[in-house]
Amino acid sequence: MELKIYHMYPDLLNLYGDLGNVTSLRQRCQWRGINVEVVSFSMNHEVPLTDGDLFFIGGGSDRGQNIVYSHLLKYTRVMGDLIEDGAPVLAICGGYQLLGEKYIDADGNDVPGLGIFDYHTRSEEGRLIGNIIIENSLKLSPETLVGFENHGGRTYHDHQALGKVIVGYGNNGKDQEEGMIYQNCIGTYLHGPLLPKNPHLADHLILKALERKYDLKELSSLEDRQEYAAHEKVLKLYSP
Amino acid sequence: MPGKVAMTIYPDILGVVNDRCQNKIIITGTNGKTTTNNLLTHILKKEYPSVLSNLRGANMPQGLVSAFLHDRKKEYDWGVFEVDEGSFERVTEHVKPDYVLVTNFFRDQLDRYGEIEKAFQDILEALEPLDTTLILNADDPLVSNFRKLHKKNIYYGVTQNQYSTLQQGIVESRFCPACSSYLDYDYYNYGQLGGYQCPDCGFSNPNHDYQITEIDYQDHQYHYQFKNKDQEVQDITFAYEGIYNAYNCCAALSTALEVGLPLENVARSIEEFEYHLGRMENFQFPEKIVKIALVKNPIGLSETISSISLDERAKSMLFVLNDNPADGKDVSWIWDAEVEKMSNVKNINQIYCSGRRAEDIALRLKYAGVPVELVKVDDNMDSAIGKVLNEDVEIVYILPTYTAVFQGRELVLARLEGSGKKMSHIREYLKNLKLPGR
Repeated sequence: MELKIYHMYPDLLNLYGDLGNVTSLRQRCQWRGINVEVVSFSMNHEVPLTDGDLFFIGGGSDRGQNIVYSHLLKYTRVMGDLIEDGAPVLAICGGYQLLGEKYIDADGNDVPGLGIFDYHTRSEEGRLIGNIIIENSLKLSPETLVGFENHGGRTYHDHQALGKVIVGYGNNGKDQEEGMIYQNCIGTYLHGPLLPKNPHLADHLILKALERKYDLKELSSLEDRQEYAAHEKVLKLYSP
Repeated sequence: MPGKVAMTIYPDILGVVNDRCQNKIIITGTNGKTTTNNLLTHILKKEYPSVLSNLRGANMPQGLVSAFLHDRKKEYDWGVFEVDEGSFERVTEHVKPDYVLVTNFFRDQLDRYGEIEKAFQDILEALEPLDTTLILNADDPLVSNFRKLHKKNIYYGVTQNQYSTLQQGIVESRFCPACSSYLDYDYYNYGQLGGYQCPDCGFSNPNHDYQITEIDYQDHQYHYQFKNKDQEVQDITFAYEGIYNAYNCCAALSTALEVGLPLENVARSIEEFEYHLGRMENFQFPEKIVKIALVKNPIGLSETISSISLDERAKSMLFVLNDNPADGKDVSWIWDAEVEKMSNVKNINQIYCSGRRAEDIALRLKYAGVPVELVKVDDNMDSAIGKVLNEDVEIVYILPTYTAVFQGRELVLARLEGSGKKMSHIREYLKNLKLPGR
């Protein structure tokens, strides 16, 4: 078995330990004997995205995000079709905002996103920063997902949320919801990075990719003592 | 903190600091401020009777004021201050530097500062009205971009050497600061520091006024070839590890020469320099050496691991990861560091992980390919230090984050004293022991 993981714009969208998510996906495949090819997709390395099995889009600085916004526009259809077809996508922070219709910056200007989803993100005063704990709506066990969030933008949408906020701010700091799920596409503000400390979510993405490609229904389990120790520590330190 | 109180009672106290120092140097940037400040102050103190400096790394306005209140002289020959990137403007509103030294820009505590482009922009705006000479790291494209201010610029750097690489994992700024094209690199020395040029607009390293041209590592010491403006070469031995310290050393040397000190004196001062602040500080125990090296951001951690990989002695290591506000509440930065370089570190007995987020660094090591049986977690720093010091090895490396460094140092010192006492206790016991007569 083999998976092709596309790491989108690693040179521009790689803030807050984003690379750790790719490392987690790759390692957890390799530990199970699944071959992995990680392909970096960027401005100087454009490749057709259609053969990708799993996609990761991270967050970036304002400058980085602006460069990506205009560049990725021509791939809107391809990305949209892939998501519709059930390809797993994990989009964090800037990547999450990018999939929506637009980003409204501090001066009230609209920066167009890919428009794959109809949500928008608005820059509002004050950044939402801190450890975050949510209860996932994917029915994964354990129920909690832990991470760190650091965003100035507030995202508003009517899609299914990734989870309910227990500690922290989430999408907009108002409705107690965090992230978005559509098919196997997940948008979220949780970094930390997200996947190493939430191996159940990492395995969910891997399984969805294998299901789509090989019709696989189950993954072999791994020794996750260290992973859950780090997960539990966040709960211990920051649970209400 | 006395500085904070004084600033509340007398907001212009920084102005007093400014007036009492005849000459002033401000050091800013992400990494190397404290080391460069300590090194430069040490050099200046050999030549001048009174130098004021905030040596302990308290680099916000109240830190400068505290250093002054502690010392409180009528007049200083030099004021040498390290200033946090985020405080640069607030300090230079009052303290007018003759020289501003900028070390580098790396991502550090993004939860506090946002982005490095913003740090650059803030410092640029604060520098604009100042009548000052800039001493710039020519090898960092973000720092050398201050050339666009057209101040008097002095450039220092490290040329390609045997530790330079052609690949670099962490590069903060792949894009030309002048025109946003992709930068080409001939070599990397550390992070985005290296030989760069922009294929579109020609932006490249300015010529070095001062430079280190060769680096050699022997007998656990670094040996540099340093060239001044007249291309005179001086051999310099520096006891502190890492390419980042070559840059710190070069920065301090360049500044000292620029203010007119003779090269031989400066070289001698540098060779005599001893650090006492938990930044590659050495402690000699009866059976082993203990080194403490502060690690607080991705590039620092990567470089520290690289330099440890040059040391072949039997060793144990202790990582202490805290997430207190002064460390940065967000520990995700450990995933941006090239911890994979641990595979180059030889003869490891045991690795301990401690601090509030001990489990996070243990997990990072696992995903970097470090065998899990080598790694032990103990989130109590005191007992973790006890365990690592008990290891039967030649050298122990302790890598703490900011809030763990001073506490860790105290704990090591307490045990050093303890071991000294134990030694004298044994000597006493042996002296009093009535050995059978011959």
